[in-house]
Amino acid sequence: MQLYLPIAELPLNLFLLLGMGGAIGFISGLFGVGGGFLLTPLLIFVGVPAPVAVATSAAHIAASSVTGALTYWRRNALDLKLGTVLTIGGLLGTLAGVFFFNQMRRLGHLDLVITLAYVTLLMSVGCLMFVESIGAMLRQKAGKAAPIRKAGDHVWYEKLPLTMRFPRSKMSTSVIPLAGLGLVIGFIGTVLGIGGGFLVVPALIYFFRVPTSIVVGTSLFQILVTMIVATFLHAIFSQAVDVLLALTLVVGGVIGAQFGTRTGQALKGEQFRLLLAMLILIVGIRFALDLVAAPADRFSINATELER
Amino acid sequence: MSRWLASALLALSLAGQARGEELVLALSTREVAITSTYTGAEVTVFGHIERDARTIARTGDYDIVAQVQGPTGEVVLHRKGRFGFIWLTESRRRYSKVPLYFSILSAKPLASIIDEDSRQRLKLGLEHFLPAPTPELEERDEFGFRNALLRLRREEGALTENERGVTMIRPNLFTARIVLPAKAPTGLYLVNISILSEGVPLRTAQAGFVVRKVGFDAFVANAARNEAVTYGLFTVLMAVLLGWMANVVFRKD
Repeated sequence: MQLYLPIAELPLNLFLLLGMGGAIGFISGLFGVGGGFLLTPLLIFVGVPAPVAVATSAAHIAASSVTGALTYWRRNALDLKLGTVLTIGGLLGTLAGVFFFNQMRRLGHLDLVITLAYVTLLMSVGCLMFVESIGAMLRQKAGKAAPIRKAGDHVWYEKLPLTMRFPRSKMSTSVIPLAGLGLVIGFIGTVLGIGGGFLVVPALIYFFRVPTSIVVGTSLFQILVTMIVATFLHAIFSQAVDVLLALTLVVGGVIGAQFGTRTGQALKGEQFRLLLAMLILIVGIRFALDLVAAPADRFSINATELER
Repeated sequence: MSRWLASALLALSLAGQARGEELVLALSTREVAITSTYTGAEVTVFGHIERDARTIARTGDYDIVAQVQGPTGEVVLHRKGRFGFIWLTESRRRYSKVPLYFSILSAKPLASIIDEDSRQRLKLGLEHFLPAPTPELEERDEFGFRNALLRLRREEGALTENERGVTMIRPNLFTARIVLPAKAPTGLYLVNISILSEGVPLRTAQAGFVVRKVGFDAFVANAARNEAVTYGLFTVLMAVLLGWMANVVFRKD
Protein backbone atom coordinates (compact mmCIF):
# COMPACT_ATOMS: atom_id res chain seq x y z
CA MET A 1 0.00 0.00 0.00
CA GLN A 2 1.55 3.27 -1.14
CA LEU A 3 1.43 6.29 1.10
CA TYR A 4 2.04 9.75 -0.34
CA LEU A 5 4.26 11.79 1.96
CA PRO A 6 3.18 15.43 1.83
CA ILE A 7 6.52 17.08 2.67
CA ALA A 8 8.95 14.57 1.15
CA GLU A 9 6.63 14.74 -1.90
CA LEU A 10 6.89 11.13 -2.95
CA PRO A 11 4.88 7.97 -2.36
CA LEU A 12 6.49 5.17 -0.36
CA ASN A 13 5.14 1.81 0.68
CA LEU A 14 3.47 1.98 4.09
CA PHE A 15 4.78 -1.44 5.09
CA LEU A 16 8.30 -0.55 3.99
CA LEU A 17 8.17 2.49 6.29
CA LEU A 18 6.72 0.50 9.20
CA GLY A 19 9.33 -2.20 8.61
CA MET A 20 12.16 0.32 8.52
CA GLY A 21 10.90 1.93 11.71
CA GLY A 22 10.62 -1.52 13.27
CA ALA A 23 14.14 -2.57 12.27
CA ILE A 24 15.64 0.68 13.56
CA GLY A 25 13.57 0.35 16.74
CA PHE A 26 14.82 -3.23 17.21
CA ILE A 27 18.44 -2.13 16.87
CA SER A 28 17.95 0.87 19.13
CA GLY A 29 16.28 -1.30 21.76
CA LEU A 30 19.05 -3.90 21.39
CA PHE A 31 21.93 -1.46 21.80
CA GLY A 32 20.29 1.35 23.72
CA VAL A 33 21.08 3.86 21.00
CA GLY A 34 18.66 6.19 19.24
CA GLY A 35 19.28 4.64 15.83
CA GLY A 36 19.30 7.99 14.05
CA PHE A 37 22.68 7.19 12.48
CA LEU A 38 20.96 4.28 10.72
CA LEU A 39 17.58 5.88 10.08
CA THR A 40 18.77 9.00 8.25
CA PRO A 41 20.95 7.06 5.76
CA LEU A 42 18.17 4.51 5.21
CA LEU A 43 15.67 7.24 4.41
CA ILE A 44 18.14 8.83 1.99
CA PHE A 45 18.75 5.43 0.33
CA VAL A 46 15.00 4.91 -0.31
CA GLY A 47 14.74 8.30 -1.98
CA VAL A 48 13.63 10.75 0.70
CA PRO A 49 15.38 14.10 0.11
CA ALA A 50 18.32 14.52 2.52
CA PRO A 51 16.91 17.59 4.32
CA VAL A 52 13.58 15.82 4.95
CA ALA A 53 15.40 12.66 6.09
CA VAL A 54 17.48 14.59 8.62
CA ALA A 55 14.64 16.74 9.96
CA THR A 56 12.18 13.87 10.22
CA SER A 57 14.71 11.62 11.95
CA ALA A 58 14.92 14.24 14.69
CA ALA A 59 11.20 13.75 15.40
CA HIS A 60 11.64 9.97 15.44
CA ILE A 61 14.55 10.18 17.89
CA ALA A 62 12.58 12.54 20.13
CA ALA A 63 9.80 9.93 20.38
CA SER A 64 12.07 6.97 21.04
CA SER A 65 14.12 8.85 23.65
CA VAL A 66 10.93 9.75 25.56
CA THR A 67 10.24 6.04 25.95
CA GLY A 68 13.80 5.31 27.07
CA ALA A 69 14.26 8.34 29.32
CA LEU A 70 11.00 7.58 31.20
CA THR A 71 12.14 4.04 31.91
CA TYR A 72 15.48 5.24 33.33
CA TRP A 73 13.72 8.03 35.23
CA ARG A 74 11.48 5.52 36.94
CA ARG A 75 14.48 3.37 37.87
CA ASN A 76 16.13 6.51 39.24
CA ALA A 77 19.05 5.95 36.87
CA LEU A 78 19.22 9.49 35.54
CA ASP A 79 21.39 12.42 36.72
CA LEU A 80 19.11 15.38 36.12
CA LYS A 81 21.77 17.96 37.09
CA LEU A 82 24.38 16.53 34.70
CA GLY A 83 21.70 16.14 32.04
CA THR A 84 20.70 19.80 32.39
CA VAL A 85 24.28 21.04 31.97
CA LEU A 86 24.70 18.88 28.86
CA THR A 87 21.35 20.08 27.54
CA ILE A 88 22.22 23.78 27.90
CA GLY A 89 25.27 23.21 25.72
CA GLY A 90 23.16 21.00 23.46
CA LEU A 91 20.58 23.71 22.81
CA LEU A 92 23.25 26.17 21.69
CA GLY A 93 24.63 23.47 19.40
CA THR A 94 21.16 22.78 17.98
CA LEU A 95 20.62 26.45 17.20
CA ALA A 96 23.99 26.67 15.45
CA GLY A 97 23.22 23.36 13.69
CA VAL A 98 19.94 24.54 12.18
CA PHE A 99 21.62 27.73 10.97
CA PHE A 100 24.53 25.80 9.43
CA PHE A 101 22.12 23.24 7.90
CA ASN A 102 20.12 25.87 6.06
CA GLN A 103 23.19 27.82 5.02
CA MET A 104 24.68 24.67 3.43
CA ARG A 105 21.34 23.82 1.86
CA ARG A 106 21.16 27.25 0.25
CA LEU A 107 24.69 26.90 -1.10
CA GLY A 108 23.89 23.41 -2.42
CA HIS A 109 26.54 21.64 -0.32
CA LEU A 110 24.23 19.92 2.17
CA ASP A 111 24.36 16.45 0.58
CA LEU A 112 28.15 16.50 0.45
CA VAL A 113 28.41 17.75 4.04
CA ILE A 114 26.11 14.96 5.23
CA THR A 115 28.01 12.25 3.33
CA LEU A 116 31.46 13.41 4.43
CA ALA A 117 30.35 13.88 8.04
CA TYR A 118 28.79 10.41 8.16
CA VAL A 119 31.91 8.78 6.75
CA THR A 120 34.26 10.56 9.16
CA LEU A 121 32.07 10.14 12.21
CA LEU A 122 30.99 6.54 11.69
CA MET A 123 34.37 5.27 10.56
CA SER A 124 36.28 6.85 13.44
CA VAL A 125 33.78 5.98 16.17
CA GLY A 126 33.28 2.50 14.72
CA CYS A 127 37.03 1.81 14.60
CA LEU A 128 37.57 3.10 18.16
CA MET A 129 34.75 0.99 19.54
CA PHE A 130 35.88 -2.04 17.56
CA VAL A 131 39.44 -1.85 18.86
CA GLU A 132 38.27 -1.08 22.39
CA SER A 133 35.81 -3.97 22.59
CA ILE A 134 38.30 -6.44 21.11
CA GLY A 135 40.84 -5.22 23.67
CA ALA A 136 38.32 -5.65 26.49
CA MET A 137 37.50 -9.17 25.36
CA LEU A 138 41.20 -10.11 25.20
CA ARG A 139 41.83 -8.61 28.65
CA GLN A 140 38.95 -10.56 30.05
CA LYS A 141 40.33 -13.77 28.58
CA ALA A 142 43.71 -13.02 30.14
CA GLY A 143 41.95 -12.44 33.46
CA LYS A 144 43.06 -8.82 33.89
CA ALA A 145 40.67 -6.07 34.97
CA ALA A 146 40.30 -2.94 32.89
CA PRO A 147 42.47 -0.10 34.20
CA ILE A 148 40.44 2.30 36.31
CA ARG A 149 41.44 5.82 37.24
CA LYS A 150 41.38 6.66 40.93
CA ALA A 151 38.80 9.11 42.33
CA GLY A 152 40.14 12.66 42.72
CA ASP A 153 42.61 12.06 39.91
CA HIS A 154 41.54 15.04 37.79
CA VAL A 155 42.50 15.66 34.18
CA TRP A 156 43.26 19.26 32.98
CA TYR A 157 39.82 19.87 31.44
CA GLU A 158 38.12 18.97 34.69
CA LYS A 159 40.13 21.70 36.47
CA LEU A 160 38.81 24.54 34.32
CA PRO A 161 36.80 27.27 36.15
CA LEU A 162 33.08 26.94 37.07
CA THR A 163 33.44 23.70 38.99
CA MET A 164 30.24 21.92 39.92
CA ARG A 165 29.53 18.82 41.99
CA PHE A 166 27.38 16.05 40.57
CA PRO A 167 26.48 13.82 43.54
CA ARG A 168 24.43 11.35 41.48
CA SER A 169 27.35 10.77 39.11
CA LYS A 170 29.88 10.78 41.98
CA MET A 171 32.09 13.42 40.40
CA SER A 172 32.98 17.08 40.44
CA THR A 173 34.19 18.79 37.33
CA SER A 174 34.21 22.09 35.47
CA VAL A 175 30.96 22.83 33.65
CA ILE A 176 32.83 24.04 30.54
CA PRO A 177 33.90 20.67 29.04
CA LEU A 178 30.45 19.21 29.79
CA ALA A 179 28.56 22.04 28.10
CA GLY A 180 31.12 21.90 25.29
CA LEU A 181 30.41 18.19 24.81
CA GLY A 182 26.66 18.94 24.76
CA LEU A 183 27.21 21.68 22.20
CA VAL A 184 29.19 19.47 19.83
CA ILE A 185 26.63 16.66 20.10
CA GLY A 186 23.71 19.06 19.63
CA PHE A 187 25.34 20.53 16.53
CA ILE A 188 26.24 17.20 14.93
CA GLY A 189 22.86 15.74 15.85
CA THR A 190 20.89 18.56 14.28
CA VAL A 191 22.89 18.58 11.03
CA LEU A 192 22.97 14.80 10.61
CA GLY A 193 19.63 13.78 12.14
CA ILE A 194 21.15 11.64 14.88
CA GLY A 195 20.64 11.73 18.62
CA GLY A 196 24.32 11.24 19.33
CA GLY A 197 23.89 8.70 22.14
CA PHE A 198 26.64 6.57 20.64
CA LEU A 199 28.97 9.57 21.11
CA VAL A 200 27.76 10.93 24.48
CA VAL A 201 27.75 7.61 26.32
CA PRO A 202 31.41 6.67 25.64
CA ALA A 203 32.51 10.29 26.14
CA LEU A 204 30.89 10.49 29.58
CA ILE A 205 32.33 7.12 30.59
CA TYR A 206 35.89 7.65 29.33
CA PHE A 207 36.38 11.37 29.94
CA PHE A 208 34.29 11.99 33.05
CA ARG A 209 34.00 8.51 34.61
CA VAL A 210 30.23 8.80 35.00
CA PRO A 211 28.94 5.47 36.38
CA THR A 212 27.61 3.22 33.62
CA SER A 213 24.34 2.72 35.52
CA ILE A 214 23.50 6.41 35.16
CA VAL A 215 25.12 7.34 31.86
CA VAL A 216 22.52 5.97 29.44
CA GLY A 217 19.54 7.58 31.18
CA THR A 218 21.34 10.92 31.41
CA SER A 219 22.34 10.80 27.76
CA LEU A 220 18.75 9.96 26.80
CA PHE A 221 17.49 12.96 28.77
CA GLN A 222 19.88 15.28 26.92
CA ILE A 223 18.98 13.73 23.53
CA LEU A 224 15.28 14.05 24.29
CA VAL A 225 15.45 17.79 24.96
CA THR A 226 17.84 18.64 22.11
CA MET A 227 15.89 16.55 19.58
CA ILE A 228 12.58 18.14 20.59
CA VAL A 229 14.13 21.55 20.01
CA ALA A 230 15.82 20.34 16.81
CA THR A 231 12.50 19.04 15.44
CA PHE A 232 10.82 22.32 16.29
CA LEU A 233 13.57 24.46 14.73
CA HIS A 234 13.74 22.24 11.63
CA ALA A 235 9.96 22.61 11.25
CA ILE A 236 10.23 26.39 11.38
CA PHE A 237 13.46 27.14 9.53
CA SER A 238 14.08 24.13 7.28
CA GLN A 239 10.38 23.27 6.72
CA ALA A 240 11.42 19.72 6.09
CA VAL A 241 9.73 17.73 8.87
CA ASP A 242 7.29 15.24 7.37
CA VAL A 243 4.74 14.50 10.05
CA LEU A 244 3.26 11.50 8.21
CA LEU A 245 6.70 9.95 7.68
CA ALA A 246 7.57 10.57 11.34
CA LEU A 247 4.30 8.98 12.48
CA THR A 248 4.79 5.74 10.52
CA LEU A 249 8.44 5.45 11.58
CA VAL A 250 7.62 6.05 15.24
CA VAL A 251 4.82 3.48 15.27
CA GLY A 252 7.13 0.88 13.69
CA GLY A 253 9.99 1.91 15.95
CA VAL A 254 8.03 1.62 19.18
CA ILE A 255 7.10 -1.97 18.43
CA GLY A 256 10.56 -2.94 17.21
CA ALA A 257 12.22 -1.45 20.29
CA GLN A 258 10.32 -3.79 22.61
CA PHE A 259 11.69 -6.86 20.84
CA GLY A 260 15.14 -5.30 20.73
CA THR A 261 15.25 -4.65 24.47
CA ARG A 262 14.33 -8.26 25.23
CA THR A 263 17.00 -9.62 22.88
CA GLY A 264 19.57 -7.16 24.24
CA GLN A 265 19.30 -8.51 27.78
CA ALA A 266 20.81 -11.80 26.63
CA LEU A 267 24.01 -10.16 25.34
CA LYS A 268 27.25 -9.54 27.25
CA GLY A 269 28.78 -6.05 27.45
CA GLU A 270 31.80 -6.63 25.22
CA GLN A 271 29.95 -8.69 22.62
CA PHE A 272 27.35 -6.01 22.60
CA ARG A 273 29.88 -3.21 21.96
CA LEU A 274 31.60 -5.27 19.29
CA LEU A 275 28.31 -5.83 17.46
CA LEU A 276 27.42 -2.16 17.69
CA ALA A 277 30.91 -1.19 16.45
CA MET A 278 30.50 -3.52 13.47
CA LEU A 279 27.09 -2.08 12.67
CA ILE A 280 28.44 1.48 12.80
CA LEU A 281 31.38 0.47 10.59
CA ILE A 282 29.08 -1.13 8.00
CA VAL A 283 27.02 2.06 7.65
CA GLY A 284 30.24 4.09 7.49
CA ILE A 285 31.66 1.82 4.77
CA ARG A 286 28.40 2.08 2.83
CA PHE A 287 28.77 5.86 2.79
CA ALA A 288 32.49 5.66 2.02
CA LEU A 289 31.75 3.42 -0.99
CA ASP A 290 29.55 6.18 -2.37
CA LEU A 291 32.56 8.44 -2.28
CA VAL A 292 35.23 6.01 -3.46
CA ALA A 293 33.43 3.88 -6.05
CA ALA A 294 33.07 5.29 -9.54
CA PRO A 295 29.45 6.43 -9.77
CA ALA A 296 27.19 4.59 -12.19
CA ASP A 297 26.00 7.97 -13.33
CA ARG A 298 28.24 10.99 -13.01
CA PHE A 299 25.27 13.29 -13.27
CA SER A 300 22.53 13.72 -10.74
CA ILE A 301 19.65 16.09 -10.29
CA ASN A 302 20.13 17.63 -6.93
CA ALA A 303 17.03 19.64 -6.26
CA THR A 304 13.95 20.71 -8.05
CA GLU A 305 12.20 23.58 -6.45
CA LEU A 306 9.22 25.43 -7.71
CA GLU A 307 9.50 29.14 -8.28
CA ARG A 308 6.24 30.42 -6.96
CA MET B 1 -5.34 51.85 -48.24
CA SER B 2 -8.51 50.93 -50.07
CA ARG B 3 -6.65 48.21 -51.94
CA TRP B 4 -5.42 46.74 -48.68
CA LEU B 5 -8.95 46.84 -47.27
CA ALA B 6 -10.33 45.19 -50.35
CA SER B 7 -7.88 42.32 -50.20
CA ALA B 8 -8.57 41.85 -46.52
CA LEU B 9 -12.28 41.67 -47.21
CA LEU B 10 -11.65 39.22 -50.00
CA ALA B 11 -9.62 37.01 -47.68
CA LEU B 12 -12.40 37.10 -45.12
CA SER B 13 -15.05 36.16 -47.60
CA LEU B 14 -12.90 33.33 -48.94
CA ALA B 15 -12.46 32.05 -45.41
CA GLY B 16 -16.21 32.20 -45.06
CA GLN B 17 -16.69 30.09 -48.12
CA ALA B 18 -14.14 27.37 -47.41
CA ARG B 19 -13.63 27.12 -43.68
CA GLY B 20 -10.87 25.29 -41.83
CA GLU B 21 -11.58 22.55 -39.32
CA GLU B 22 -12.72 23.26 -35.81
CA LEU B 23 -11.00 21.47 -32.94
CA VAL B 24 -13.03 20.68 -29.85
CA LEU B 25 -11.25 19.37 -26.74
CA ALA B 26 -12.47 17.81 -23.55
CA LEU B 27 -10.35 16.60 -20.61
CA SER B 28 -11.13 13.58 -18.48
CA THR B 29 -10.48 15.79 -15.46
CA ARG B 30 -9.76 19.44 -14.72
CA GLU B 31 -8.09 18.66 -11.45
CA VAL B 32 -5.68 15.90 -10.47
CA ALA B 33 -5.89 15.47 -6.72
CA ILE B 34 -2.82 14.40 -4.78
CA THR B 35 -4.12 12.44 -1.82
CA SER B 36 -2.45 10.03 0.59
CA THR B 37 -2.80 7.23 -1.94
CA TYR B 38 -1.51 9.17 -4.96
CA THR B 39 1.10 7.28 -6.99
CA GLY B 40 0.76 9.03 -10.31
CA ALA B 41 -2.21 9.72 -12.54
CA GLU B 42 -3.51 9.72 -16.09
CA VAL B 43 -5.36 12.52 -17.81
CA THR B 44 -7.05 11.78 -21.11
CA VAL B 45 -7.73 14.46 -23.67
CA PHE B 46 -10.62 13.77 -26.05
CA GLY B 47 -10.50 15.68 -29.28
CA HIS B 48 -12.95 16.01 -32.09
CA ILE B 49 -12.10 17.56 -35.44
CA GLU B 50 -15.27 19.20 -36.70
CA ARG B 51 -15.93 19.56 -40.37
CA ASP B 52 -18.99 20.50 -42.32
CA ALA B 53 -19.97 20.79 -45.97
CA ARG B 54 -17.95 23.99 -46.40
CA THR B 55 -14.72 22.59 -44.98
CA ILE B 56 -11.88 22.16 -47.42
CA ALA B 57 -11.56 18.58 -48.62
CA ARG B 58 -8.40 16.78 -47.42
CA THR B 59 -6.78 13.93 -49.22
CA GLY B 60 -4.72 12.61 -46.30
CA ASP B 61 -5.48 11.69 -42.71
CA TYR B 62 -5.19 14.08 -39.81
CA ASP B 63 -2.15 14.01 -37.61
CA ILE B 64 -2.23 15.12 -34.01
CA VAL B 65 0.57 16.49 -31.85
CA ALA B 66 -0.08 17.18 -28.17
CA GLN B 67 2.40 19.04 -26.02
CA VAL B 68 1.91 19.24 -22.26
CA GLN B 69 3.83 21.70 -20.11
CA GLY B 70 3.73 21.64 -16.32
CA PRO B 71 4.74 24.40 -13.92
CA THR B 72 8.27 25.72 -14.31
CA GLY B 73 10.95 25.59 -11.67
CA GLU B 74 14.64 25.41 -11.02
CA VAL B 75 16.64 22.26 -11.63
CA VAL B 76 20.17 21.91 -10.34
CA LEU B 77 22.34 19.35 -12.06
CA HIS B 78 25.51 18.01 -10.43
CA ARG B 79 28.39 16.26 -12.09
CA LYS B 80 30.79 14.17 -10.08
CA GLY B 81 34.48 14.11 -10.74
CA ARG B 82 37.47 12.29 -9.30
CA PHE B 83 39.55 14.05 -6.66
CA GLY B 84 42.43 11.80 -5.63
CA PHE B 85 40.61 8.61 -4.77
CA ILE B 86 37.19 10.00 -3.94
CA TRP B 87 34.34 11.19 -6.14
CA LEU B 88 32.87 14.58 -5.42
CA THR B 89 30.67 17.04 -7.22
CA GLU B 90 33.07 18.88 -9.49
CA SER B 91 30.64 21.18 -11.22
CA ARG B 92 27.00 22.07 -11.23
CA ARG B 93 24.55 23.80 -13.52
CA ARG B 94 21.47 25.68 -12.52
CA TYR B 95 18.60 25.70 -14.99
CA SER B 96 15.87 28.11 -14.10
CA LYS B 97 12.38 28.18 -15.58
CA VAL B 98 12.52 24.59 -16.80
CA PRO B 99 9.09 22.94 -17.09
CA LEU B 100 9.05 20.39 -14.28
CA TYR B 101 6.79 18.27 -16.46
CA PHE B 102 6.97 18.15 -20.23
CA SER B 103 5.60 15.71 -22.74
CA ILE B 104 5.05 15.48 -26.46
CA LEU B 105 2.46 12.99 -27.63
CA SER B 106 1.63 11.89 -31.14
CA ALA B 107 0.40 8.86 -33.04
CA LYS B 108 3.45 8.62 -35.30
CA PRO B 109 7.08 9.70 -35.03
CA LEU B 110 7.12 13.48 -34.91
CA ALA B 111 9.54 13.80 -37.82
CA SER B 112 7.13 12.05 -40.17
CA ILE B 113 4.25 14.32 -39.24
CA ILE B 114 5.72 17.77 -39.36
CA ASP B 115 8.62 19.52 -41.04
CA GLU B 116 11.23 21.50 -39.18
CA ASP B 117 9.79 24.86 -40.23
CA SER B 118 6.25 24.28 -38.98
CA ARG B 119 7.59 22.63 -35.84
CA GLN B 120 9.45 25.82 -34.96
CA ARG B 121 6.43 27.97 -35.75
CA LEU B 122 4.11 25.88 -33.55
CA LYS B 123 6.70 25.91 -30.72
CA LEU B 124 6.74 22.11 -30.59
CA GLY B 125 9.73 20.11 -29.48
CA LEU B 126 12.35 19.63 -26.83
CA GLU B 127 13.94 23.04 -27.28
CA HIS B 128 10.89 24.44 -25.55
CA PHE B 129 11.74 22.29 -22.61
CA LEU B 130 15.30 23.55 -22.55
CA PRO B 131 16.55 26.48 -24.62
CA ALA B 132 19.51 25.80 -26.89
CA PRO B 133 22.90 26.62 -25.35
CA THR B 134 24.64 29.81 -26.37
CA PRO B 135 28.00 29.33 -28.17
CA GLU B 136 29.83 30.66 -25.12
CA LEU B 137 28.25 28.01 -22.87
CA GLU B 138 28.98 25.31 -25.42
CA GLU B 139 32.67 25.48 -24.54
CA ARG B 140 32.06 24.70 -20.88
CA ASP B 141 30.83 21.18 -21.68
CA GLU B 142 27.26 22.43 -21.75
CA PHE B 143 26.44 19.67 -24.21
CA GLY B 144 27.08 16.90 -21.68
CA PHE B 145 24.99 18.67 -19.06
CA ARG B 146 22.08 19.18 -21.44
CA ASN B 147 22.03 15.54 -22.47
CA ALA B 148 22.25 14.42 -18.87
CA LEU B 149 19.39 16.70 -17.89
CA LEU B 150 17.19 15.34 -20.67
CA ARG B 151 18.13 11.76 -19.86
CA LEU B 152 17.55 12.12 -16.10
CA ARG B 153 14.23 13.90 -16.54
CA ARG B 154 13.15 11.10 -18.92
CA GLU B 155 14.11 8.48 -16.36
CA GLU B 156 12.01 10.28 -13.74
CA GLY B 157 9.02 10.38 -16.08
CA ALA B 158 9.03 14.17 -16.02
CA LEU B 159 9.93 14.36 -19.70
CA THR B 160 8.28 12.08 -22.21
CA GLU B 161 8.08 11.85 -25.97
CA ASN B 162 5.50 9.21 -26.74
CA GLU B 163 4.88 8.31 -30.35
CA ARG B 164 1.95 6.19 -29.26
CA GLY B 165 0.44 8.67 -26.85
CA VAL B 166 -2.30 9.69 -29.28
CA THR B 167 -4.89 7.20 -30.49
CA MET B 168 -7.04 7.90 -33.54
CA ILE B 169 -10.45 6.41 -32.83
CA ARG B 170 -12.05 7.72 -36.01
CA PRO B 171 -10.33 9.76 -38.72
CA ASN B 172 -11.61 12.86 -36.90
CA LEU B 173 -11.81 11.64 -33.32
CA PHE B 174 -8.80 11.03 -31.10
CA THR B 175 -7.62 10.65 -27.53
CA ALA B 176 -4.27 11.68 -26.03
CA ARG B 177 -3.09 9.99 -22.84
CA ILE B 178 -1.08 12.17 -20.45
CA VAL B 179 0.77 10.13 -17.84
CA LEU B 180 1.78 11.98 -14.69
CA PRO B 181 4.57 10.49 -12.54
CA ALA B 182 4.36 10.00 -8.78
CA LYS B 183 6.59 13.02 -8.30
CA ALA B 184 4.52 15.32 -10.51
CA PRO B 185 4.85 18.89 -9.27
CA THR B 186 1.72 20.72 -8.22
CA GLY B 187 0.49 23.58 -10.37
CA LEU B 188 -1.04 24.37 -13.72
CA TYR B 189 -0.50 22.08 -16.71
CA LEU B 190 -1.11 23.44 -20.19
CA VAL B 191 -2.11 21.10 -23.01
CA ASN B 192 -1.46 22.37 -26.50
CA ILE B 193 -2.94 20.29 -29.32
CA SER B 194 -2.26 20.86 -33.00
CA ILE B 195 -3.89 19.11 -35.93
CA LEU B 196 -1.99 18.76 -39.16
CA SER B 197 -2.64 17.29 -42.51
CA GLU B 198 0.22 16.24 -44.75
CA GLY B 199 2.59 18.34 -42.72
CA VAL B 200 0.46 21.48 -42.88
CA PRO B 201 -0.66 22.82 -39.49
CA LEU B 202 -4.41 23.39 -39.59
CA ARG B 203 -5.46 24.38 -36.13
CA THR B 204 -4.24 24.58 -32.56
CA ALA B 205 -6.30 24.47 -29.41
CA GLN B 206 -5.44 24.73 -25.74
CA ALA B 207 -6.74 23.20 -22.57
CA GLY B 208 -5.40 22.97 -19.06
CA PHE B 209 -5.66 21.10 -15.81
CA VAL B 210 -4.40 21.59 -12.29
CA VAL B 211 -2.46 19.19 -10.08
CA ARG B 212 -2.88 19.99 -6.44
CA LYS B 213 -2.75 18.42 -3.05
CA VAL B 214 -6.16 17.95 -1.49
CA GLY B 215 -7.51 16.75 1.83
CA PHE B 216 -5.08 15.68 4.48
CA ASP B 217 -1.96 16.11 2.35
CA ALA B 218 -2.93 19.66 1.35
CA PHE B 219 -3.65 20.42 4.96
CA VAL B 220 -0.27 19.11 6.12
CA ALA B 221 1.71 20.79 3.35
CA ASN B 222 -0.09 24.07 3.98
CA ALA B 223 0.40 23.89 7.72
CA ALA B 224 4.11 23.13 7.32
CA ARG B 225 4.53 26.13 5.05
CA ASN B 226 2.24 28.73 6.56
CA GLU B 227 1.79 27.68 10.18
CA ALA B 228 5.30 26.42 10.81
CA VAL B 229 5.23 27.13 14.56
CA THR B 230 1.95 25.28 15.15
CA TYR B 231 3.07 22.49 12.84
CA GLY B 232 6.36 22.15 14.70
CA LEU B 233 4.63 22.13 18.09
CA PHE B 234 2.15 19.53 16.87
CA THR B 235 4.89 17.26 15.51
CA VAL B 236 6.88 17.48 18.74
CA LEU B 237 3.76 16.84 20.82
CA MET B 238 2.85 13.84 18.68
CA ALA B 239 6.35 12.40 19.03
CA VAL B 240 6.42 12.89 22.80
CA LEU B 241 2.92 11.46 23.28
CA LEU B 242 3.69 8.39 21.17
CA GLY B 243 6.93 7.84 23.06
CA TRP B 244 5.13 8.21 26.37
CA MET B 245 2.34 5.85 25.29
CA ALA B 246 4.91 3.24 24.26
CA ASN B 247 6.49 3.52 27.66
CA VAL B 248 3.15 3.06 29.46
CA VAL B 249 1.92 0.23 27.24
CA PHE B 250 5.13 -1.81 27.34
CA ARG B 251 5.98 -1.01 30.94
CA LYS B 252 7.56 -3.95 32.71
CA ASP B 253 8.54 -2.61 36.11
